[in-house]
Amino acid sequence: MLFLTWRSVARAIFSVAAALWLSPAFAHAVCGDRIFPATLGIDDPGVGDELALPTLTSQPQGSDGTREFDATFSWTKTILPGLGLSFSDGGAWLRPGGYGWQALDTELKYNFMCLAQHEFMASAGFDVSWGRTGTAAQYSPFNTYSPILDVGKGFGDLPVSLNILRPLAITAEISEAIPGQSWTDGSQNPTTLNWGFTVQYSLPYYNSHIGQISSDFLRRLIPVTEFAFSTPIANVPSGSQITTGTIQPGVIYEGDTWQLAVEALIPINSASGRNVGAVAELHFFLDDIFPNSLGKPISKWGQP
Amino acid sequence: MNRRPVVRIAAALAFAFVAPAAFAHAQLEKATPAVGATVASASEIRLKFSEGVEPRFSGIALTAEGGAVVPLGQPSVDPADKSVLIVKVGKSLSPGVYTVTWHAVSVDTHHTQGDFQFTVKP
Repeated sequence: MLFLTWRSVARAIFSVAAALWLSPAFAHAVCGDRIFPATLGIDDPGVGDELALPTLTSQPQGSDGTREFDATFSWTKTILPGLGLSFSDGGAWLRPGGYGWQALDTELKYNFMCLAQHEFMASAGFDVSWGRTGTAAQYSPFNTYSPILDVGKGFGDLPVSLNILRPLAITAEISEAIPGQSWTDGSQNPTTLNWGFTVQYSLPYYNSHIGQISSDFLRRLIPVTEFAFSTPIANVPSGSQITTGTIQPGVIYEGDTWQLAVEALIPINSASGRNVGAVAELHFFLDDIFPNSLGKPISKWGQP
Repeated sequence: MNRRPVVRIAAALAFAFVAPAAFAHAQLEKATPAVGATVASASEIRLKFSEGVEPRFSGIALTAEGGAVVPLGQPSVDPADKSVLIVKVGKSLSPGVYTVTWHAVSVDTHHTQGDFQFTVKP
Protein backbone atom coordinates (compact mmCIF):
# COMPACT_ATOMS: atom_id res chain seq x y z
CA MET A 1 0.00 0.00 0.00
CA LEU A 2 2.78 2.31 0.95
CA PHE A 3 4.49 1.40 -2.31
CA LEU A 4 1.51 2.56 -4.28
CA THR A 5 1.24 5.74 -2.24
CA TRP A 6 4.81 6.84 -2.80
CA ARG A 7 4.72 6.08 -6.48
CA SER A 8 1.52 8.03 -6.78
CA VAL A 9 3.07 10.98 -4.98
CA ALA A 10 6.15 10.91 -7.19
CA ARG A 11 4.12 10.75 -10.37
CA ALA A 12 1.71 13.40 -9.16
CA ILE A 13 4.56 15.78 -8.42
CA PHE A 14 6.08 15.10 -11.80
CA SER A 15 2.81 15.62 -13.62
CA VAL A 16 1.94 18.77 -11.72
CA ALA A 17 5.41 20.12 -12.33
CA ALA A 18 5.01 19.64 -16.04
CA ALA A 19 1.48 20.93 -16.10
CA LEU A 20 2.40 24.07 -14.22
CA TRP A 21 5.35 24.58 -16.55
CA LEU A 22 7.75 23.87 -13.76
CA SER A 23 9.64 23.11 -16.80
CA PRO A 24 12.96 21.62 -16.42
CA ALA A 25 15.46 23.75 -14.74
CA PHE A 26 18.46 23.64 -12.58
CA ALA A 27 19.26 26.67 -10.61
CA HIS A 28 22.41 28.59 -10.80
CA ALA A 29 24.94 28.21 -8.06
CA VAL A 30 26.37 31.71 -8.03
CA CYS A 31 29.06 32.82 -5.58
CA GLY A 32 30.92 36.03 -6.29
CA ASP A 33 32.04 36.06 -9.91
CA ARG A 34 31.61 32.31 -10.20
CA ILE A 35 28.69 30.39 -11.61
CA PHE A 36 29.07 26.72 -10.82
CA PRO A 37 27.27 24.66 -13.46
CA ALA A 38 25.08 21.71 -12.60
CA THR A 39 27.16 18.56 -12.87
CA LEU A 40 26.12 14.97 -13.44
CA GLY A 41 28.30 12.69 -11.36
CA ILE A 42 28.08 14.72 -8.20
CA ASP A 43 25.85 17.60 -7.18
CA ASP A 44 26.88 21.24 -7.45
CA PRO A 45 27.28 23.25 -4.24
CA GLY A 46 24.34 25.57 -4.84
CA VAL A 47 20.65 25.47 -4.03
CA GLY A 48 18.04 26.88 -6.36
CA ASP A 49 14.91 26.25 -8.33
CA GLU A 50 15.94 23.90 -11.05
CA LEU A 51 14.89 20.89 -13.04
CA ALA A 52 17.00 18.29 -14.80
CA LEU A 53 14.89 16.66 -17.43
CA PRO A 54 15.84 14.33 -18.76
CA THR A 55 18.99 12.69 -17.54
CA LEU A 56 19.73 9.85 -19.93
CA THR A 57 22.34 7.33 -18.86
CA SER A 58 23.75 4.35 -20.66
CA GLN A 59 25.63 2.69 -17.83
CA PRO A 60 28.88 0.88 -18.51
CA GLN A 61 28.18 -2.80 -18.92
CA GLY A 62 28.15 -4.42 -15.49
CA SER A 63 30.88 -6.79 -14.42
CA ASP A 64 28.25 -9.55 -14.66
CA GLY A 65 27.37 -8.52 -18.21
CA THR A 66 24.20 -6.60 -17.29
CA ARG A 67 23.30 -3.60 -19.46
CA GLU A 68 21.35 -0.70 -17.97
CA PHE A 69 19.74 2.41 -19.40
CA ASP A 70 18.22 5.07 -17.14
CA ALA A 71 15.90 7.99 -17.92
CA THR A 72 15.43 10.16 -14.86
CA PHE A 73 14.55 13.64 -13.70
CA SER A 74 15.27 15.81 -10.69
CA TRP A 75 13.30 18.85 -9.57
CA THR A 76 14.42 21.20 -6.83
CA LYS A 77 12.10 23.71 -5.18
CA THR A 78 13.44 26.37 -2.89
CA ILE A 79 11.50 26.76 0.33
CA LEU A 80 13.59 29.59 1.76
CA PRO A 81 16.54 31.41 0.19
CA GLY A 82 19.33 28.84 0.25
CA LEU A 83 17.09 25.99 1.40
CA GLY A 84 15.67 23.61 -1.16
CA LEU A 85 13.91 20.30 -1.43
CA SER A 86 14.59 18.09 -4.41
CA PHE A 87 12.72 15.13 -5.84
CA SER A 88 14.41 12.67 -8.14
CA ASP A 89 13.08 9.59 -9.83
CA GLY A 90 12.88 7.84 -13.15
CA GLY A 91 12.92 4.59 -15.00
CA ALA A 92 15.62 1.97 -15.46
CA TRP A 93 15.83 -0.64 -18.16
CA LEU A 94 18.00 -3.65 -17.38
CA ARG A 95 19.00 -6.42 -19.73
CA PRO A 96 18.44 -8.92 -18.33
CA GLY A 97 16.02 -7.67 -15.69
CA GLY A 98 13.50 -5.60 -17.60
CA TYR A 99 12.03 -2.24 -16.75
CA GLY A 100 11.63 -0.86 -13.24
CA TRP A 101 10.75 2.48 -11.71
CA GLN A 102 13.55 3.70 -9.48
CA ALA A 103 13.13 4.57 -5.82
CA LEU A 104 11.93 8.08 -5.11
CA ASP A 105 14.79 10.15 -3.83
CA THR A 106 14.39 13.36 -1.85
CA GLU A 107 17.01 15.73 -0.52
CA LEU A 108 16.72 18.69 1.78
CA LYS A 109 19.73 20.90 1.11
CA TYR A 110 20.95 24.15 2.64
CA ASN A 111 23.56 26.48 1.19
CA PHE A 112 25.24 27.68 4.36
CA MET A 113 28.31 29.44 3.00
CA CYS A 114 29.39 31.65 0.12
CA LEU A 115 32.66 33.52 0.38
CA ALA A 116 32.15 35.70 -2.67
CA GLN A 117 35.68 37.07 -2.86
CA HIS A 118 37.11 33.56 -2.89
CA GLU A 119 34.32 31.98 -4.93
CA PHE A 120 33.90 29.36 -2.22
CA MET A 121 30.53 27.79 -1.68
CA ALA A 122 29.32 25.01 0.63
CA SER A 123 26.03 23.25 1.19
CA ALA A 124 24.83 20.47 3.45
CA GLY A 125 22.00 18.12 2.67
CA PHE A 126 20.12 15.10 3.90
CA ASP A 127 18.96 12.65 1.29
CA VAL A 128 16.46 9.86 1.64
CA SER A 129 16.02 7.14 -0.94
CA TRP A 130 12.57 5.88 -0.10
CA GLY A 131 12.12 2.14 0.22
CA ARG A 132 9.24 0.36 -1.49
CA THR A 133 8.89 3.13 -4.08
CA GLY A 134 10.79 1.30 -6.80
CA THR A 135 9.56 -1.56 -8.89
CA ALA A 136 10.95 -4.79 -10.27
CA ALA A 137 14.73 -4.89 -10.07
CA GLN A 138 14.69 -1.35 -8.64
CA TYR A 139 12.64 -2.41 -5.62
CA SER A 140 14.20 -1.96 -2.21
CA PRO A 141 12.29 -2.77 0.97
CA PHE A 142 14.08 -0.17 3.09
CA ASN A 143 14.97 3.51 3.10
CA THR A 144 18.55 4.69 2.67
CA TYR A 145 19.64 7.84 4.51
CA SER A 146 22.53 10.00 3.32
CA PRO A 147 23.95 13.10 4.97
CA ILE A 148 25.75 15.04 2.22
CA LEU A 149 28.32 17.82 2.03
CA ASP A 150 28.94 19.72 -1.22
CA VAL A 151 31.64 22.33 -1.72
CA GLY A 152 32.91 24.39 -4.64
CA LYS A 153 35.91 26.62 -5.14
CA GLY A 154 36.62 28.86 -8.08
CA PHE A 155 40.12 30.12 -8.67
CA GLY A 156 39.21 33.61 -9.75
CA ASP A 157 41.05 34.96 -6.73
CA LEU A 158 44.41 33.89 -8.11
CA PRO A 159 46.76 36.75 -9.00
CA VAL A 160 46.57 38.21 -12.49
CA SER A 161 49.97 36.66 -13.25
CA LEU A 162 48.13 33.30 -13.15
CA ASN A 163 45.28 34.55 -15.31
CA ILE A 164 45.11 31.37 -17.35
CA LEU A 165 44.20 29.39 -14.22
CA ARG A 166 41.48 31.73 -12.96
CA PRO A 167 38.66 30.06 -14.96
CA LEU A 168 39.40 26.80 -13.13
CA ALA A 169 37.05 25.55 -10.45
CA ILE A 170 36.71 22.40 -8.43
CA THR A 171 33.70 21.01 -6.68
CA ALA A 172 33.48 18.04 -4.35
CA GLU A 173 30.88 15.95 -2.63
CA ILE A 174 30.97 13.42 0.16
CA SER A 175 28.08 11.47 1.60
CA GLU A 176 27.48 8.40 3.68
CA ALA A 177 24.65 6.17 2.48
CA ILE A 178 23.21 4.37 5.49
CA PRO A 179 20.67 1.62 4.79
CA GLY A 180 17.68 1.57 7.09
CA GLN A 181 17.96 -2.19 7.32
CA SER A 182 21.18 -4.09 7.96
CA TRP A 183 20.11 -7.37 6.43
CA THR A 184 17.63 -8.31 3.74
CA ASP A 185 16.83 -11.92 2.96
CA GLY A 186 20.06 -13.04 4.57
CA SER A 187 22.24 -10.54 2.71
CA GLN A 188 24.13 -7.65 4.26
CA ASN A 189 23.26 -4.10 3.22
CA PRO A 190 26.53 -2.20 3.43
CA THR A 191 26.95 1.40 4.44
CA THR A 192 28.84 3.17 1.68
CA LEU A 193 30.84 6.33 1.42
CA ASN A 194 29.99 8.12 -1.81
CA TRP A 195 32.54 10.69 -2.76
CA GLY A 196 33.78 12.53 -5.77
CA PHE A 197 34.99 15.74 -7.26
CA THR A 198 34.98 17.70 -10.50
CA VAL A 199 37.58 19.79 -12.28
CA GLN A 200 36.08 22.35 -14.62
CA TYR A 201 37.43 25.12 -16.81
CA SER A 202 34.88 27.81 -17.51
CA LEU A 203 35.17 29.47 -20.90
CA PRO A 204 32.34 31.85 -19.92
CA TYR A 205 34.58 32.93 -17.05
CA TYR A 206 37.55 33.21 -19.40
CA ASN A 207 35.51 35.33 -21.79
CA SER A 208 34.40 37.79 -19.13
CA HIS A 209 37.60 37.98 -17.08
CA ILE A 210 40.66 37.02 -19.10
CA GLY A 211 40.19 37.50 -22.81
CA GLN A 212 37.31 37.87 -25.18
CA ILE A 213 36.30 34.75 -27.10
CA SER A 214 34.86 35.64 -30.47
CA SER A 215 32.87 32.45 -31.00
CA ASP A 216 29.40 32.60 -29.43
CA PHE A 217 29.48 28.82 -29.15
CA LEU A 218 32.88 28.42 -27.56
CA ARG A 219 32.36 31.07 -24.93
CA ARG A 220 29.48 29.07 -23.50
CA LEU A 221 31.40 25.82 -23.02
CA ILE A 222 32.72 24.40 -19.79
CA PRO A 223 34.99 21.38 -20.26
CA VAL A 224 34.69 19.24 -17.16
CA THR A 225 35.90 15.96 -15.77
CA GLU A 226 34.04 14.35 -12.92
CA PHE A 227 35.26 11.62 -10.61
CA ALA A 228 32.52 9.74 -8.75
CA PHE A 229 33.30 6.87 -6.39
CA SER A 230 31.58 4.60 -3.90
CA THR A 231 33.39 2.79 -1.09
CA PRO A 232 31.71 0.27 1.23
CA ILE A 233 32.72 1.13 4.78
CA ALA A 234 30.54 -0.89 7.15
CA ASN A 235 28.50 -4.07 7.20
CA VAL A 236 30.33 -5.10 4.06
CA PRO A 237 29.92 -8.64 2.76
CA SER A 238 33.17 -10.55 2.51
CA GLY A 239 34.89 -9.90 -0.78
CA SER A 240 33.00 -6.70 -1.51
CA GLN A 241 35.33 -4.18 0.08
CA ILE A 242 36.24 -2.51 -3.15
CA THR A 243 35.82 1.05 -4.33
CA THR A 244 33.85 1.40 -7.53
CA GLY A 245 33.25 4.45 -9.63
CA THR A 246 33.62 6.26 -12.87
CA ILE A 247 35.73 8.98 -14.40
CA GLN A 248 33.54 11.23 -16.49
CA PRO A 249 35.16 13.57 -19.00
CA GLY A 250 32.71 15.77 -20.84
CA VAL A 251 31.51 19.22 -21.64
CA ILE A 252 28.73 21.53 -20.53
CA TYR A 253 27.07 24.07 -22.79
CA GLU A 254 25.59 26.99 -20.88
CA GLY A 255 22.51 28.61 -22.33
CA ASP A 256 20.88 31.60 -20.71
CA THR A 257 18.14 29.64 -18.96
CA TRP A 258 19.33 26.09 -19.51
CA GLN A 259 22.38 23.95 -19.96
CA LEU A 260 23.23 20.72 -21.72
CA ALA A 261 25.89 18.38 -20.43
CA VAL A 262 27.35 15.28 -22.03
CA GLU A 263 29.89 13.01 -20.37
CA ALA A 264 31.50 9.63 -20.92
CA LEU A 265 31.37 7.09 -18.09
CA ILE A 266 34.68 5.30 -17.76
CA PRO A 267 34.73 2.56 -15.11
CA ILE A 268 37.75 2.75 -12.83
CA ASN A 269 38.03 -1.02 -12.43
CA SER A 270 36.38 -4.26 -13.49
CA ALA A 271 34.05 -4.16 -10.49
CA SER A 272 32.73 -0.83 -11.81
CA GLY A 273 31.86 -2.24 -15.20
CA ARG A 274 33.16 -2.96 -18.63
CA ASN A 275 33.34 -0.70 -21.63
CA VAL A 276 32.45 2.98 -21.60
CA GLY A 277 29.00 4.37 -20.87
CA ALA A 278 27.59 7.82 -21.46
CA VAL A 279 25.30 10.29 -19.77
CA ALA A 280 23.56 13.39 -21.06
CA GLU A 281 21.46 15.84 -19.13
CA LEU A 282 19.34 18.83 -19.99
CA HIS A 283 18.94 21.37 -17.21
CA PHE A 284 16.59 24.26 -16.94
CA PHE A 285 17.10 27.15 -14.56
CA LEU A 286 13.68 27.78 -13.09
CA ASP A 287 14.84 30.84 -11.21
CA ASP A 288 15.49 32.42 -14.60
CA ILE A 289 12.52 30.99 -16.46
CA PHE A 290 9.97 31.86 -13.78
CA PRO A 291 11.71 34.49 -11.64
CA ASN A 292 8.54 35.92 -10.20
CA SER A 293 6.56 32.77 -9.58
CA LEU A 294 7.66 29.18 -9.57
CA GLY A 295 11.35 30.01 -9.70
CA LYS A 296 11.57 31.85 -6.41
CA PRO A 297 11.53 30.59 -2.82
CA ILE A 298 8.15 29.94 -1.25
CA SER A 299 9.14 32.35 1.54
CA LYS A 300 11.80 35.06 1.50
CA TRP A 301 12.32 34.70 5.23
CA GLY A 302 16.00 34.98 6.04
CA GLN A 303 16.92 36.70 2.79
CA PRO A 304 19.69 39.23 3.36
CA MET B 1 10.46 -1.92 -23.26
CA ASN B 2 7.69 -0.09 -21.46
CA ARG B 3 7.07 3.11 -23.41
CA ARG B 4 4.81 4.87 -20.94
CA PRO B 5 7.61 6.48 -18.89
CA VAL B 6 9.27 7.64 -22.09
CA VAL B 7 6.05 9.23 -23.22
CA ARG B 8 5.65 11.01 -19.88
CA ILE B 9 9.17 12.37 -20.00
CA ALA B 10 8.77 13.46 -23.61
CA ALA B 11 5.53 15.24 -22.74
CA ALA B 12 7.09 17.12 -19.86
CA LEU B 13 10.05 18.00 -22.04
CA ALA B 14 7.71 19.43 -24.63
CA PHE B 15 6.27 21.74 -21.98
CA ALA B 16 9.77 22.87 -21.15
CA PHE B 17 10.63 23.84 -24.66
CA VAL B 18 7.55 25.98 -25.06
CA ALA B 19 8.16 27.82 -21.81
CA PRO B 20 7.45 31.54 -21.99
CA ALA B 21 10.08 34.18 -22.56
CA ALA B 22 12.42 34.32 -19.65
CA PHE B 23 15.25 36.33 -18.19
CA ALA B 24 18.50 35.10 -16.82
CA HIS B 25 21.59 36.11 -14.95
CA ALA B 26 23.31 38.86 -16.93
CA GLN B 27 26.63 37.45 -18.02
CA LEU B 28 29.21 39.58 -19.75
CA GLU B 29 29.43 38.60 -23.40
CA LYS B 30 31.52 41.37 -24.91
CA ALA B 31 33.24 44.52 -23.79
CA THR B 32 34.72 47.62 -25.36
CA PRO B 33 37.62 47.88 -24.77
CA ALA B 34 37.67 44.10 -25.12
CA VAL B 35 38.55 41.90 -22.18
CA GLY B 36 42.32 41.59 -22.05
CA ALA B 37 42.82 43.84 -25.08
CA THR B 38 45.44 46.50 -25.76
CA VAL B 39 43.98 49.71 -27.14
CA ALA B 40 45.17 53.15 -28.17
CA SER B 41 42.61 54.93 -26.02
CA ALA B 42 39.23 54.49 -24.41
CA SER B 43 36.69 57.27 -24.09
CA GLU B 44 33.91 55.02 -22.89
CA ILE B 45 33.35 51.52 -21.58
CA ARG B 46 30.60 49.41 -23.14
CA LEU B 47 29.60 46.11 -21.64
CA LYS B 48 27.32 43.77 -23.59
CA PHE B 49 25.47 41.36 -21.33
CA SER B 50 23.46 38.26 -22.12
CA GLU B 51 20.36 39.94 -20.69
CA GLY B 52 18.93 43.39 -20.21
CA VAL B 53 20.26 45.21 -17.16
CA GLU B 54 18.95 47.86 -14.81
CA PRO B 55 21.33 50.86 -14.96
CA ARG B 56 20.14 52.19 -11.57
CA PHE B 57 21.36 49.03 -9.87
CA SER B 58 24.32 48.28 -12.10
CA GLY B 59 27.71 49.93 -12.14
CA ILE B 60 31.20 50.10 -13.53
CA ALA B 61 34.38 51.17 -11.81
CA LEU B 62 37.76 51.76 -13.43
CA THR B 63 41.07 51.70 -11.64
CA ALA B 64 44.57 52.30 -12.88
CA GLU B 65 47.69 50.42 -11.86
CA GLY B 66 48.30 51.10 -8.21
CA GLY B 67 44.59 51.34 -7.52
CA ALA B 68 43.95 54.97 -8.47
CA VAL B 69 40.27 55.40 -9.29
CA VAL B 70 39.49 56.85 -12.71
CA PRO B 71 36.43 59.13 -12.71
CA LEU B 72 33.53 57.88 -14.78
CA GLY B 73 30.16 59.26 -15.78
CA GLN B 74 26.79 57.86 -14.81
CA PRO B 75 26.09 54.41 -16.25
CA SER B 76 23.33 54.16 -18.77
CA VAL B 77 21.97 51.54 -21.13
CA ASP B 78 22.02 51.79 -24.88
CA PRO B 79 18.51 52.97 -25.86
CA ALA B 80 18.60 50.52 -28.74
CA ASP B 81 19.80 47.58 -26.64
CA LYS B 82 19.10 47.37 -22.92
CA SER B 83 21.69 44.65 -22.52
CA VAL B 84 24.49 47.16 -23.20
CA LEU B 85 25.72 49.15 -20.22
CA ILE B 86 27.70 52.27 -21.11
CA VAL B 87 29.78 54.65 -19.07
CA LYS B 88 31.88 57.59 -20.23
CA VAL B 89 35.49 57.82 -19.13
CA GLY B 90 35.99 61.17 -17.46
CA LYS B 91 39.54 61.81 -18.59
CA SER B 92 42.08 60.80 -21.17
CA LEU B 93 43.73 57.58 -20.10
CA SER B 94 47.47 57.51 -19.88
CA PRO B 95 49.32 54.37 -20.98
CA GLY B 96 49.07 51.48 -18.55
CA VAL B 97 46.96 48.59 -17.35
CA TYR B 98 43.40 49.32 -16.19
CA THR B 99 40.95 47.16 -14.31
CA VAL B 100 37.24 47.33 -15.00
CA THR B 101 35.05 46.11 -12.15
CA TRP B 102 31.37 45.73 -12.87
CA HIS B 103 28.22 44.59 -11.22
CA ALA B 104 24.94 44.12 -12.98
CA VAL B 105 21.38 43.53 -11.96
CA SER B 106 19.36 41.97 -14.71
CA VAL B 107 15.77 42.97 -15.29
CA ASP B 108 14.64 39.99 -13.21
CA THR B 109 16.82 41.32 -10.31
CA HIS B 110 19.47 38.59 -10.47
CA HIS B 111 22.88 39.92 -9.53
CA THR B 112 26.16 39.19 -11.26
CA GLN B 113 29.59 40.74 -11.04
CA GLY B 114 33.06 40.51 -12.52
CA ASP B 115 36.23 42.27 -13.48
CA PHE B 116 38.73 42.35 -16.30
CA GLN B 117 41.74 44.28 -17.47
CA PHE B 118 42.73 46.14 -20.59
CA THR B 119 45.87 48.00 -21.53
CA VAL B 120 46.31 51.45 -23.04
CA LYS B 121 49.44 51.34 -25.13
CA PRO B 122 52.01 54.13 -25.09
